[in-house]
Amino acid sequence: MSELVVDKISLSFGGLQVLNEVSLSVAEGELLALIGPNGAGKTTVFNCISGLYRPTGAVRFRGQDIIGKKPHDVAALGIARTFQHGEVFARLNVADNLMAARHLAIGSNPLSEMLGLPGARRQERAHRAQIARILDLCDLTGLADTPVTDLPYGTQKLVGFARALALGPSLLLLDEPSAGLTREEREDLAYYILKTKAELGIAMIWIEHDMQMVADLADRIHVLDYGRSLADGPPGAVLNDPEVIKAYLGTV
Amino acid sequence: MSDLSPMRVVTALIAIAALIALPFLASGATLDIANQILLATIGAIALMLLTGFAGQISLGHAGLLAAGAFTAGILAQEIAAPFWIGIPAAALTGALLGVIFGLPSLRLRGIYLAVSTLALHFLVVYVGGEYETRRGFSTGILIDPPVVFGFEFWDPVAWYPVLLFVAVIVWLLARNLLRSRTGRAWAAIHDTEPVAAALGINVARTKLWAFVISSAITAMAGALFAYYRGFVSIEAFSLFVTIQYVAMIIIGGMGSLLGAVLGAAFVTVLPHAIEAASALLPSSGGLAGSIFAMNYAAFGLIMIAFLVFEPGGLVGILRRIGGKRGTR
Ligand SMILES: Nc1ncnc2c1ncn2[C@@H]1O[C@H](COP(=O)(O)OP(=O)(O)O)[C@@H](O)[C@H]1O
Ligand SMILES: [Mg+2]
Repeated sequence: MSELVVDKISLSFGGLQVLNEVSLSVAEGELLALIGPNGAGKTTVFNCISGLYRPTGAVRFRGQDIIGKKPHDVAALGIARTFQHGEVFARLNVADNLMAARHLAIGSNPLSEMLGLPGARRQERAHRAQIARILDLCDLTGLADTPVTDLPYGTQKLVGFARALALGPSLLLLDEPSAGLTREEREDLAYYILKTKAELGIAMIWIEHDMQMVADLADRIHVLDYGRSLADGPPGAVLNDPEVIKAYLGTV
Repeated sequence: MSDLSPMRVVTALIAIAALIALPFLASGATLDIANQILLATIGAIALMLLTGFAGQISLGHAGLLAAGAFTAGILAQEIAAPFWIGIPAAALTGALLGVIFGLPSLRLRGIYLAVSTLALHFLVVYVGGEYETRRGFSTGILIDPPVVFGFEFWDPVAWYPVLLFVAVIVWLLARNLLRSRTGRAWAAIHDTEPVAAALGINVARTKLWAFVISSAITAMAGALFAYYRGFVSIEAFSLFVTIQYVAMIIIGGMGSLLGAVLGAAFVTVLPHAIEAASALLPSSGGLAGSIFAMNYAAFGLIMIAFLVFEPGGLVGILRRIGGKRGTR
């Protein structure tokens, strides 16, 4: 069964139609690549799923329509995401960026935290242990106490990826995780994505411009062009689709 | 996080020794200034949590101090409530006002939020003033000094350890909070709200908690101020007080608890330093009247100088001298 179904969502910004009846779906354990030229509306689809924008149509997560839900309530359902430019929390170190994403899971309240009550301390320790596993998965353990602003761009984006994992999602939205990364960092990223898929078995939608990576890793590809769904299918078929080639040749 | 370099340990030990020795060495007047610094420290930590950490702008600080002072004053006056009722009651009043002060932050930000908190400042001052005139205390309310086991707290020497204790406790509570879920959520919404929200942080609730906690501490500081002075008058809570507190966190260094303390000390001592300096000038007689104006002017200049040349504040300077990244 599909984890997430995006059903004919449309969205305009003051006369500019950004999404036009976009429909896609992703199943448990599936890695869906979402591709399309710049400005096609890929990030906007993510913003609609995560509750930052409110489109018409339906977005169903495990059968439940989530359009109109607040972003933190969407996250509470187990939908986590990364952002195109990393958008890590500059005021926090690497470990605390991940801890911030465990906000929903940590059960302490401000009073118990202020007083340093045993319950609050226990929660803090338990969740630090949880994120230690994710730091390890992404080879970030050695950087746990480093302020994120001291890190190179590629590492910051990796922190953004680890932070999304820290939420403990069952659906992960990755917005151009490889953009701005070096060749070597891309190879590492591909490995982390595959490892996440193998170890956690969660559904992922992955916006990506590196067609080689997409061809190698994706289970399925969905193509957006000018806010419309242009093609959907296995990599071999989609990447050789003349329509898709045309859309890409038109802009790149 | 807390790296215990020998340099830091020595500095901390010297500071602790000085704080303990002070009441034995200092005159009553000096100790009064020390007490004012401690009171300002509590208020500045409260504002630092809200603005320096959670990133919410407020110009309601004097109003909240007034609310706390008046809660203590009115309770003392009307039902002869002792301080151990007055202080929690003030904190509770502050927490409730914090919700009200915080509600506009769910819709507004920046200058608009500042103006809305300013409106609430005037509301609190209006209510306090009304109380004073209606009850015929047009010059202010007198409060008896707190009594503990028959011991009366009325002189600066007796107050010093109390205020030092409270300031240290408030620091520790704030530090605990900043190192927990709430503190991280404040940092997250301070950086970018949509990203924080998409990662599961309830932005509205996080902001409201910042206002509630900050306002409760502020009102408690206001109540302590009232007991310390033995007197409450609405005159003491002008907008200039708000500006002084904003100056404390800017001059001390945004986003640092140590900055709140240093800023509180700097801004509290500044007028006394100006007074002392002008007394040394040869024609001090003619200057006496203009000291007040000089104080305002010096204050403005220093604040601008920090904003332009040292946005990291006193803590930023210390860090550069130490050549190290400091902790919170
Ligand atoms: N908040 C917004 N206001 C106005 N226009 C927007 C907004 N968000 C996105 N757009 C527009 O929507 C189109 C698609 O943007 P986006 O989803 O970011 O594309 P991409 O596929 O490159 O991620 C662009 O033309 C962009 O300018
Ligand atoms: Mg995009």
